[in-house]
Amino acid sequence: MSTAAGHEHHWEWSWAPTAVVIGTFLLVPLGFSAYFVYEDTMLTILFTGLGTPILLAGIARWVHEGLTQKPLVAGLAATALPIFIVSEIFIFLGLFTAYWTMRLSQGGNWPPEGTPELNLLIPVIMTFFLVGSSITYHVAEMKDEAGDMAGFRKWLIITLILGTIFLGLTVYEYQHLLHIGFGPSANAFSTAFYTITGFHASHVLVGLGSFLAVLIPAFKGRSNHTLTASVGVYWHFVDVVWFFVASQIYFW
Amino acid sequence: MSAAQSSWKEWVFTTDHKRIGVMYLVGSLAAFAVAGTMALLIRIEQSQLGPNLVGDAFTGGDTYNTWLYFHGAAMILAFLIPGLTGYFANYFIPLMIGANDVAFPRINAFSVWLFFVAIVLALAGFVIPDTPDIMWTGYPPYSVMTSANTSFYVFTVHLLGFSSILGAVNFLVTVVYMRAPGMGWNQLNVFVWTTVAAFVIQLIFIPVLAAAVTMLLFDKYLGTHFFDPAAGGDVLLYQNLFWFYSHPAVYVIFLPAMGVLFEVIAGMAKNRIFNYKACVYGGVWGITLLAGEVWVHHLYVAGMPDWIRVGQMVSTLLISVPVGLMVMSMWGTLYRGAITYNTAMLYAGSCLFLVLIGGLTGIPLAMTSMTVHLSETAFVHAHFHYVMAIFATFAIFSGVYYWFPKISGRMPNEKMGKLGFLINFVGVNVTFWPLFIIGIQGMPRRYWDYQMFPQFEGYHQIAFYGAVIVAVGMAITILNWLFSAIGGEKAPENPWNSASLEWTHCPSPPGPGNFPKDVELTADWTPYNYDKR
Repeated sequence: MSTAAGHEHHWEWSWAPTAVVIGTFLLVPLGFSAYFVYEDTMLTILFTGLGTPILLAGIARWVHEGLTQKPLVAGLAATALPIFIVSEIFIFLGLFTAYWTMRLSQGGNWPPEGTPELNLLIPVIMTFFLVGSSITYHVAEMKDEAGDMAGFRKWLIITLILGTIFLGLTVYEYQHLLHIGFGPSANAFSTAFYTITGFHASHVLVGLGSFLAVLIPAFKGRSNHTLTASVGVYWHFVDVVWFFVASQIYFW
Repeated sequence: MSAAQSSWKEWVFTTDHKRIGVMYLVGSLAAFAVAGTMALLIRIEQSQLGPNLVGDAFTGGDTYNTWLYFHGAAMILAFLIPGLTGYFANYFIPLMIGANDVAFPRINAFSVWLFFVAIVLALAGFVIPDTPDIMWTGYPPYSVMTSANTSFYVFTVHLLGFSSILGAVNFLVTVVYMRAPGMGWNQLNVFVWTTVAAFVIQLIFIPVLAAAVTMLLFDKYLGTHFFDPAAGGDVLLYQNLFWFYSHPAVYVIFLPAMGVLFEVIAGMAKNRIFNYKACVYGGVWGITLLAGEVWVHHLYVAGMPDWIRVGQMVSTLLISVPVGLMVMSMWGTLYRGAITYNTAMLYAGSCLFLVLIGGLTGIPLAMTSMTVHLSETAFVHAHFHYVMAIFATFAIFSGVYYWFPKISGRMPNEKMGKLGFLINFVGVNVTFWPLFIIGIQGMPRRYWDYQMFPQFEGYHQIAFYGAVIVAVGMAITILNWLFSAIGGEKAPENPWNSASLEWTHCPSPPGPGNFPKDVELTADWTPYNYDKR
């Protein structure tokens, strides 16, 4: 810790965290409340329209600072992310607990009336793409470590495409189910189905966003092994959770 | 370097742990002031039978419910937790372990800003026409059926929860990887241990609350059926998930509060921590281990098989063992110490009384047979105010006085401090003793009016006078901090002659990077090296 940085006499500051918070605040709590609670289209457009650019600017600035500034102790993010994932595991456990409680209290009456036959081919295909993307990301990581920026970019783009296809299949499935009238409010199964698969899909979305945060600097020839490794750990976690989601929701 | 040169950006957008700590302090004290005003309104309303403040008898309950909602939610989520794990942890953990900052300064700034927008969102609840009225617990089915807003409550929990989880990750990594060379695990300040344990609890349990309130949001606004028995959902599911976090949250408050008291008591008694290892590995980690196994006692009267009730009674009573270990360490630290009775020490000493009263009144509430009678009465209300609310608040005040010279560079005014303490201490006891008495006699909690129990009016009047006394004491205390911070006597480097790193190795207040020289410690160093002098 005896870095020179610790002894420089100036106060560190950054507007990136503030921007990310304010962007998120406008986008999620206020955007959701404007749309679903107060059903006010103008307010929704205002909040999301303001929130999105502020959020993106904050993330871009944050990634830029992370790539250009030296931390007090290097490489700690790769340790911190697994600790954060402990939290993630418990939030999924909370949702699964709700699902198990509802399901087990119904006895043999499951799935409840009004549940259409789910196309089980879709989750199988989705699993294929997600596991594939975990593998391709691992290849990208190895290219990054070897200093092969062109290969790093190529495998990142492949990963990004595979992840996007996964998300696209979720959207496709949702559209189909909504079309035949099986929305979140249909019954107890739809409640759990949309909440749990939707929550997992939101993680996929964050994963895709973090791929962009790695890919865009990579086009300028910049990368940070700790960031690359951390995004990888997160993505593998999203992959592993999918096995629980698929086995509990589709195949049980 | 002069402080005058620092621009506003270096404050507002700061990533320095000390300035972030001060931001937490200011934010949490502001929440405390607003939530305290709500408490005063509640006591005025109950001071006499019939509507006093709320207007007419038909809508009065709604107004009263919004006060209860904000008082509870803001005190717990925006004052106690951010005050302890935000202010104290941020300012003092890096100083106590000899680090230049936390592991992730930008994530730290992210956390404090999440905390601020969460307070803004909670306060905005008063501006919108459909002010939330669902208590700090948000139980369905009421929270799903009410015409008032529920989303602001849910998102306030989300924002604060995310803030706390990131704080937990940040500080766990900081304590594990950034301790000064030579600092072993048994040389940590007790405050560092208690806060680390609190962060472990936050990390594991907050996500479950986040999941629970998310389901609430979906049930209310997207029409899902998690808590709707008619469609196969379960109302008690929410209560279980909610208390799965919210009981351990009591320890998130209790543990760092105990940690602050240990620092004050050891520093003021000039003594080592008695039974350090039993206190840390038995007390702190014992509480942490048991924290997740007792939540069902909040549901005793909600309906459950007897064998669960008995199991919960045993695990709840077991909590008193690690708590007892820690309190014993406090008394042992005071024993034969050279005690300085200043304001910080008076608050700390009063906490030993408060935790005793709060702890003893917890025993009948843990007993299944007694709790059937006492549940949902003013007795519960008085119990948790003693053991959690007032205890933790007094511990925070103790810590604010103790570290006042460190963060401001000036000494607090002791006369005003002691006067404020005395008034506060008398006031809280006058407020909450009557509630124990009428609670045992059956006064229900959360009622804005009690026409059916006119015999309790006198007790409510006494409680109201107590609340007025507390209001005076709080005003004196907060004004004292303001005036002392601006015009107090200049503080010497180490006014209490403490042996802890934050006093011995850095100036008051510390500059960027904290330590003028890198800290290196020997094997016989501890933050409580008093008996070797």
